[in-house]
Amino acid sequence: MAVIEATDLRRVYETTTGVFRRRPLEVEAVRGISFEVAEGELFGLLGPNGAGKTTTIKMLITLLLPTSGSARVLGHDVVEDAREVRKKIGYVFGGDRGLYERLSALDNLRYFAELYGVTGRAQKKRIGEVLEIVGLTGREQERVEGYSRGMRQRLHIGRGILHDPPVVFLDEPTLGVDPVGSRELRQTISGLVQAGKTVLLTTHYMFEADTLCDRVAVIARGRIVGHGTPRELKSHVADRTVVEVEAFGVDEETVRRLRGMPGVTSVSIEDRDQAQVLTIQSPRGLALTQELPAWLDGAAVGRIEAREPTLEDAYIALVTESAE
Amino acid sequence: MIRFWRVFFVGGLLAYRALFNWIRPWIYIPTMLGAPIFQLVFFTKLGQYSGAGDKSFFVVGNAVQVCAMSSIYGMTMAVANERWFGTLGPLLASPANRLAVFLGRGVPVLANGLFVSAFGFGIGVVLLGFRPPTHAIPALAVVVIVTAASCTAFGMLLGSIGLRAKDFFFAANLAYFLMLLFCGVNIPLHVMPEWMQIVGRSVPLTHGIMAARRVSAGASLGDVSGLVWAELGIGAAYAASAYLLFRFLERESRRRAVLDTL
Amino acid sequence: MTTALLVWKMLLFRLKEFAVSAWFLLISVLQPIIFATIAFYMFRTGGKPGTLLYAALGAGMMGIWSSTLFGSGGALQWQRWQGTLELLVASPPPFVIVLLPMALATSITGAYALVSTLVWGRLLFGVPLHLAHPVAFAVAVPVTVLALGLMGLLLASSFVLYRHANALSNLLEYPVWVASGLIFPISLLPGWSHPISWILAPTWGVRAIRAAALGGSPWGPIGWAALLGVVYLALAAVFLRIFEYQARARATLSLT
Repeated sequence: MAVIEATDLRRVYETTTGVFRRRPLEVEAVRGISFEVAEGELFGLLGPNGAGKTTTIKMLITLLLPTSGSARVLGHDVVEDAREVRKKIGYVFGGDRGLYERLSALDNLRYFAELYGVTGRAQKKRIGEVLEIVGLTGREQERVEGYSRGMRQRLHIGRGILHDPPVVFLDEPTLGVDPVGSRELRQTISGLVQAGKTVLLTTHYMFEADTLCDRVAVIARGRIVGHGTPRELKSHVADRTVVEVEAFGVDEETVRRLRGMPGVTSVSIEDRDQAQVLTIQSPRGLALTQELPAWLDGAAVGRIEAREPTLEDAYIALVTESAE
Repeated sequence: MIRFWRVFFVGGLLAYRALFNWIRPWIYIPTMLGAPIFQLVFFTKLGQYSGAGDKSFFVVGNAVQVCAMSSIYGMTMAVANERWFGTLGPLLASPANRLAVFLGRGVPVLANGLFVSAFGFGIGVVLLGFRPPTHAIPALAVVVIVTAASCTAFGMLLGSIGLRAKDFFFAANLAYFLMLLFCGVNIPLHVMPEWMQIVGRSVPLTHGIMAARRVSAGASLGDVSGLVWAELGIGAAYAASAYLLFRFLERESRRRAVLDTL
Repeated sequence: MTTALLVWKMLLFRLKEFAVSAWFLLISVLQPIIFATIAFYMFRTGGKPGTLLYAALGAGMMGIWSSTLFGSGGALQWQRWQGTLELLVASPPPFVIVLLPMALATSITGAYALVSTLVWGRLLFGVPLHLAHPVAFAVAVPVTVLALGLMGLLLASSFVLYRHANALSNLLEYPVWVASGLIFPISLLPGWSHPISWILAPTWGVRAIRAAALGGSPWGPIGWAALLGVVYLALAAVFLRIFEYQARARATLSLT
């Protein structure tokens, strides 16, 4: 039985526009998402900001009601059986909020331990264990308001696993954390899976999804546009070569023309300091590099390089293709 | 010079809108208008029950005081909210003239204060049977305008202090209650001990209320001119202090990087 | 039993959280004292004999209500801003159990206001602190505090859904003072408003406390206050289930 099952989840947000006469506006954030996570898996939901990752995860952890569709965690329906679900999951989200600033880390953990029914001597023991796992031993007496972002994240994770839940949901856990801190966090997350838990992670960091996850689903604009192991996803673009062009003065018009070039499957452009980097995907690969300068007429061209596709390229391909 | 006025008007208006954007009529009406009604009714009834004075004593006192509420809350909110939302940093980093910024913020607050006060007097007439002589109304209006202006200046000072202190909303509340006590709103000044009278006379509102009471009883503007000038003088002093304090704190905060901490 | 223990433990947390917020204590103690002072001066100026204790108790009750009101609504709003509201909703216990300690903590802090008002009155205005029925007083105060806390809980339950309810909640300060006859009797109010007074716990609470202190029969009002408390709790539990569901449907939990 799958530990997490999402079936055709949809979520519409109602908001208003306009200042004086407010008109209702419906935003469909999640448009029919289905997936399954098996026991002991580290499953990633990868997508750009606004794709619907947080909305999806909130539906799974019972904080949002789906507009339609259903989901089950450990066999319990997230709407009907919310309480059962809440007892068995841990929820960790990124960012600075979500902790009692004026209390110490220890007090925060004690409070949530009470809420989750970890009491008495078991509580003391468990808090000690959790502090070890997340690497905050020795700093638990300090007030949270003095914590760095990385420490807060670790405390969040600690809070999420106090009651030793079999399933842990992490929403962008390394958001805003420095590289070293992020690496430590990722190690902690791997540790959770090694301890037998099932973990669902949302992220927009390619690298994270690639190194951590057993399987990944790519979300864009409220839909899943690709899923599989990181390797399988890369194979989606394996038939292509990625050509990186460093150029100066490339305009919209040129990019459009390039997209129309025969054999080009996607073009993305990134501004880096004074130059721009064009990433062009095409099965024709090397042959393309010969023709490119002509198509880039008008722009100064620096280096042109062809390389193997990475998960990032697969992701870009999937996301841009879904927009068509 | 033009830039001064632009920042003054446009900046003030935009900032007011940004900060009070969440105020819909169904929130503005209860908060800005509902609260004064209750306050007026409460103190007037209490006054009658305790026998401490006649109706008009309390109606005038409270109707003038409610403009202080608007000014204090409005101005401290203007600064404190910016801090809360983190927009104070970018604002101070901009080249805009500080004086224009703050004066611009003050105008909507002042207008709101006047409106609320007028509303309070209206409530006094409609619900509590307050009947000032008709010829007193223009004089009363002048007194209220002066008082509202000096309260706004006071609010600016509190707002400037709000650059540093944490949990500043509480301090604004506290200032409100203290003014209710010290400014002779519900208690004639001479009943209070000497030191309280001194405190009362050194903050806005007190002289304004005294003037308003005399005017509602039929005195002319000339009769109360001393009080009105006193009120204006106090307001000006607070405005100047506010400006200086704001510049000082800004420089200090930049030096010690405490601007962003909540 | 474990639920009661949970509520107790969380109550201690909430009190601790309040205790480290100096400003909150300042308002809980200073505001009642300021209002009490205004009331004392007014009664003294008016010259009505024997009314200072009456004023002191009334002002103290006003303080309990302010603390409860401000605390219940403010606490919930504070949870929102801190981002912990979601976490509380996502936790296993029913939300009413999570919210109850918050509401109780605020009214308990308010009781502190009652004490300081009485002490203040004694020290500065010579208010005679002579209790006619000390035992009844010792019962009336906790019952009133509890009932008011539950009233705060009921109010707070509406704030879960409406994030701007906080602005409106501040409006209920003066009206409850007036409608409950805290510092002047409800006989001064029009007849049609009296039923409203009767369903407010502070009305009975202040009658109980005053009767216990100044003489009269406190046990009837104590009973009514307790009964109302139970009704508030039941209503809050029901409303919270509905409101929480609605908040999840309309996605207002995480918005500030």
